Amino acid sequence: MAMTPKKEKLTGMYISIFLLTVLGVVIGVYGPAHLMPRSMSDNMHLSILTIVVFSVAAAPVAAGVYAVCLHALRHWVHRGDSVPAPAASQTREHPLAVTSWVLASTALTVFLLIWGLGALSVDNGGIGRNPLVVDVTGQQWLWTFSYPGTNVQSPTLVLPEGRTVVFHIKALDVTHGFWIANMGVQVDANVGTITEIHTTPTALGTFDVRCTQFCGLNHAFMVTTGNVVSKQQFSQWLASQSMKA
Amino acid sequence: MTTTLEHTQQAATEGGGLARKQNFVTALIGGVVFAWLAWFLAHHFLDASSRNYSDLVTTALTFGWMFGFWLGIGALNGPARWLIGADHTRADDLYYAGENQGRARYWKYCTDHKVVGVQYIVMTAVLLGAGGILAMAIRTELIVPGNHFVNQQVYNGFVAVHGMLMILALIVAVAGPWANFVVPIMCGARDMAFPRLNALSLWTLVSAAGLLLSVLAVGSLTMGWVVLAPIADQAGVGMDFFAMAIIVFTVSTTVAGINTICTVMTMRTKGMTLARLPIFVWASMIAAALGLYAFPFFSLVEAQTLLDRTVSTSFFVADGGGTGWLQANLFWLMGHPEVYVILLPAVGALFEIASVMSRKPVFSYRTAIAGMTGLAGLSILVWAHHMFTTGWAPTLGGPFMLTTELISIPTGLFFLVIIGTIWRGNIWMKLPTVWLFGFIFNFIIAGITGIYLSDIPIDNQFHGTVFVTAHFHYVFVGSVLFGALAALCFWYPKVTGRFLDETMGRISFWLVFLGVQVTFLSMFVAGFKGMPRRYSSYSMIFEHANFVSTMGAYMIMSGMLVLLGAVVRSWNHGVPSGPNPWQANSLEWLVPTPPPLENFDVLPVITEDPYNYQEELVRA
Repeated sequence: MAMTPKKEKLTGMYISIFLLTVLGVVIGVYGPAHLMPRSMSDNMHLSILTIVVFSVAAAPVAAGVYAVCLHALRHWVHRGDSVPAPAASQTREHPLAVTSWVLASTALTVFLLIWGLGALSVDNGGIGRNPLVVDVTGQQWLWTFSYPGTNVQSPTLVLPEGRTVVFHIKALDVTHGFWIANMGVQVDANVGTITEIHTTPTALGTFDVRCTQFCGLNHAFMVTTGNVVSKQQFSQWLASQSMKA
Repeated sequence: MTTTLEHTQQAATEGGGLARKQNFVTALIGGVVFAWLAWFLAHHFLDASSRNYSDLVTTALTFGWMFGFWLGIGALNGPARWLIGADHTRADDLYYAGENQGRARYWKYCTDHKVVGVQYIVMTAVLLGAGGILAMAIRTELIVPGNHFVNQQVYNGFVAVHGMLMILALIVAVAGPWANFVVPIMCGARDMAFPRLNALSLWTLVSAAGLLLSVLAVGSLTMGWVVLAPIADQAGVGMDFFAMAIIVFTVSTTVAGINTICTVMTMRTKGMTLARLPIFVWASMIAAALGLYAFPFFSLVEAQTLLDRTVSTSFFVADGGGTGWLQANLFWLMGHPEVYVILLPAVGALFEIASVMSRKPVFSYRTAIAGMTGLAGLSILVWAHHMFTTGWAPTLGGPFMLTTELISIPTGLFFLVIIGTIWRGNIWMKLPTVWLFGFIFNFIIAGITGIYLSDIPIDNQFHGTVFVTAHFHYVFVGSVLFGALAALCFWYPKVTGRFLDETMGRISFWLVFLGVQVTFLSMFVAGFKGMPRRYSSYSMIFEHANFVSTMGAYMIMSGMLVLLGAVVRSWNHGVPSGPNPWQANSLEWLVPTPPPLENFDVLPVITEDPYNYQEELVRA
């Protein structure tokens, strides 16, 4: 290793790292939030926020790797049918590079972990006083929602705004996946076990409930809708359904 | 030459004449005959009113198929002769190694590791082809909402069988051809440690693949490739075929894994210390070891499923006190390490390619090994992230989230090694290099979307949607397949003595590369919008994303067909490459092409690792 390679300027690469990072951040901030269903609960807010944070954190890493590749494709490639000469630099080890890479990726991972565990504990946070309990039953291929304390059974899910809802979920035949696409919560409906999730609707309007576990022939059609209404409308709805039943 | 002729003649007169006529055709005949025989006996002796009747009969049939196939191919000859005290002579061994048998040996129970390697290439192509056709059918069904290209039941079957075929194809895609063809030569060995077991691993895979492909013919299996209880209880006899295929497949991977490890551990030539091994050998060995841990869970879970179905045990049946969660845990104990059994050989091959093509040593060899070992080690602790939303043990969510996110550290090391290797290299832009760059692009996307899914609040939104499908297709197609194709382009000249056609190769690269982006980026879009997986139809809001995705899938298929054309055409008509077209230093390039039986006249003595390109300059 007598000859020291002439240090080439890497300015172009640094500029691409910067530009690609900016691009990544823009995609990360606007993309998911733009594409995802309208957020109707605090859980959904948190999911979207977490996606944005993770995207922003990952952007420099992706940008760095892509920028090096672009630079390599522009400056370091050898075309043609003859074998290129050995590279001027024959570096086998670079402890500083390895150490800083490990430290940087560890720091990033620890950050994601702390954020994730924090978000998880918020997600699982206290149910509060006086939650609304809804019993969810999945079977091939429909959902039934009943409201304990009343005799109301409904194929669509009606929820009051601003009150925490606890879902008790079970299945009659095979495993189904109970997922409110606008609220960022899902859990399987199992046979012989009751699973529980909770969320607090924060916006009025309709939403979709979809099955996320393959459950046989009509899995794709095991969809129903729901509606978040004001507390007052909810009481009226319960009363009217009760009368019908 | 005379001596070898003597061997053959001598052996031919020694009897065993029938055994020497055995090939793939006799195996098929044996399989069908014994399957029928087993079916007939089971049908005759079992009580047709029993509720397990059809499963028992089917299981008997699959046992018959396996036994008949192995008998027909000659897998049982060696053990049988050992049992009667007439073990193989040297002449027999040379016969089974395919000496002087030309192309016929590729259809036989051949113990030459290079023949087995080529057989694995064909096997991978068959599995990828069958799985690919199903993928096209799936995407065609999804081209517009409410399409009726195939009916829903058939569609569901296609989804399941596509998944199984592709997983099997990718498990063998790099390890099968190249851990067999090049690893023994890389170590300086004359063959694998257990040549007969090597042939066994290939032919058990073929027999299992036969069962798996017949699933579609016996009423299919419509439960997704994981087929977990309780939905699996509703499956027809296709489930028995699947379970048996998997059990036999795990025999194949176990035998192959033991063989790879023993070869590397015991067969290295003089001076080939562990620190001088080409990095691909390390990758193959670590993947094999991980497979030895992972796949027994697979056969266990399928054996229990079979028992539930045939003799009414209730491991996974809720009514009998069992639970589907047990099955899910066992399945994913296999399922996540399996991803790295698939990934590691591809990554190892890419390290090798990056070094040879950049004319630089692998950057930080020890970091590469640490990364691969770390990934393998962590992978056995992360299985429950597949079960975040099942409701099983919500309190374990945090710990499993932790182990899962730690995975990004060893994975990050792979990028460091590749980037460090190509850094200021003289990168020769040939087909293997092109696929290498494609891999880097895709693996970044695979990695980042994987980090989303490791986070429970995000997983609560994305689990069970096509976002997950898109993520693991970036892993399996974008990363593993790209690595496998890089490896194919890289070692193809060693197998055939000819380059893979560069122009056709480039066309296929661009079709596949752009096709992957179009297909799976739009699948991410559908996932963000909230489309669940395994849907045979969907609402209008997912319309555009699915249409675009299907167009991309057609691009991938055309690219793969062009590549297949190139592989077939160049085999006999490609540009001659000579024994060492890339001017690499590892041993497989220093033997003639094609490598002779038993590889080396005189075993080489190794004095340094294969990454010294400076020396080569001096030699030249």
